[in-house]
Amino acid sequence: MKSLFYVVALLAGVVLSLEGAIYSVLGESIGKLESSLYNFVFGTMILGVALLFWGKGSLSYTVKAPKWQLTGGLLGIIYLTILVIGIPIIGVGLAMSSVVVGQMVMSMIIEHRGWLGSPKIKVKTEKIIAVALMIVSLFLIY
Amino acid sequence: MSIIILFASLIGGILLSAQSSVNGSFSNKAGTLESAFLTFITGGMMLSIVVLFFGSGNLLTILDAPKWQLSAVWFGVGYLFLTILAVPKIGVIATNLSAIIGQISMGMLIDHFGWFSGIQISFDFKRMIAIVLMLIALRLIYKANMKAGNERKHLSQQSSQSLHRFLK
Repeated sequence: MKSLFYVVALLAGVVLSLEGAIYSVLGESIGKLESSLYNFVFGTMILGVALLFWGKGSLSYTVKAPKWQLTGGLLGIIYLTILVIGIPIIGVGLAMSSVVVGQMVMSMIIEHRGWLGSPKIKVKTEKIIAVALMIVSLFLIY
Repeated sequence: MSIIILFASLIGGILLSAQSSVNGSFSNKAGTLESAFLTFITGGMMLSIVVLFFGSGNLLTILDAPKWQLSAVWFGVGYLFLTILAVPKIGVIATNLSAIIGQISMGMLIDHFGWFSGIQISFDFKRMIAIVLMLIALRLIYKANMKAGNERKHLSQQSSQSLHRFLK
């Protein structure tokens, strides 16, 4: 039963790659920025409906939250636009692999320093080795 | 050119990771769906302004775009829902690492068969070694995170935070 949820998590990654690949095609025809815009506008609509039915939290916290907590959208649009521009040039495999490496390195730094409200966790030797291995594999893919 | 794109994608990953921490802190108070919604709506507003001034494409051609291309929006939102399903059963760390495996394997499959776009990059021996190294690296990260979770009781806190890695 549990293994079913590993498949679900695996699928989550699969759809992420599909998304990047398809948007890069859409970007070629309607424009890169326009393709990202489409994602954010329609994503808002879908999530808006989902929120109406299943939202359990409080959206009103938005006005009280410290401003840095509201920057998720900005970070997201830069990320997606980079992918839409980059995938037609380097392919989905390499683009996704470098995203993952950037993510791993950054999350280690965030944890190590306790930035952005993260609990402070000292970086372990295993993780440094892991990042080194990932960088080697990036060069192999490149 | 492609080395620049490689570094840009690395920066993309860095931003994504920062975003998951930012959204994690926000959603602790506001909720998961609320945090996703805020990300999309503010992203949409900012991009509208950017497109208005710098957009060189034609937004109206979206009406002529094949529907399968427009379906990509469901995949981004789908990622969110699939992780919400998986996290309570297998934990955040396992969910994130499994998703990475799915992401990279699918990426290479798309490249190999040249699905969707014109670009086609065959799966070769070098890529196979690269995947093996990635798997070893992910295994190491998994072990290190599990240790960290046992040492400190931070795991549950960490969970709610990294749950929000999903949004772009």
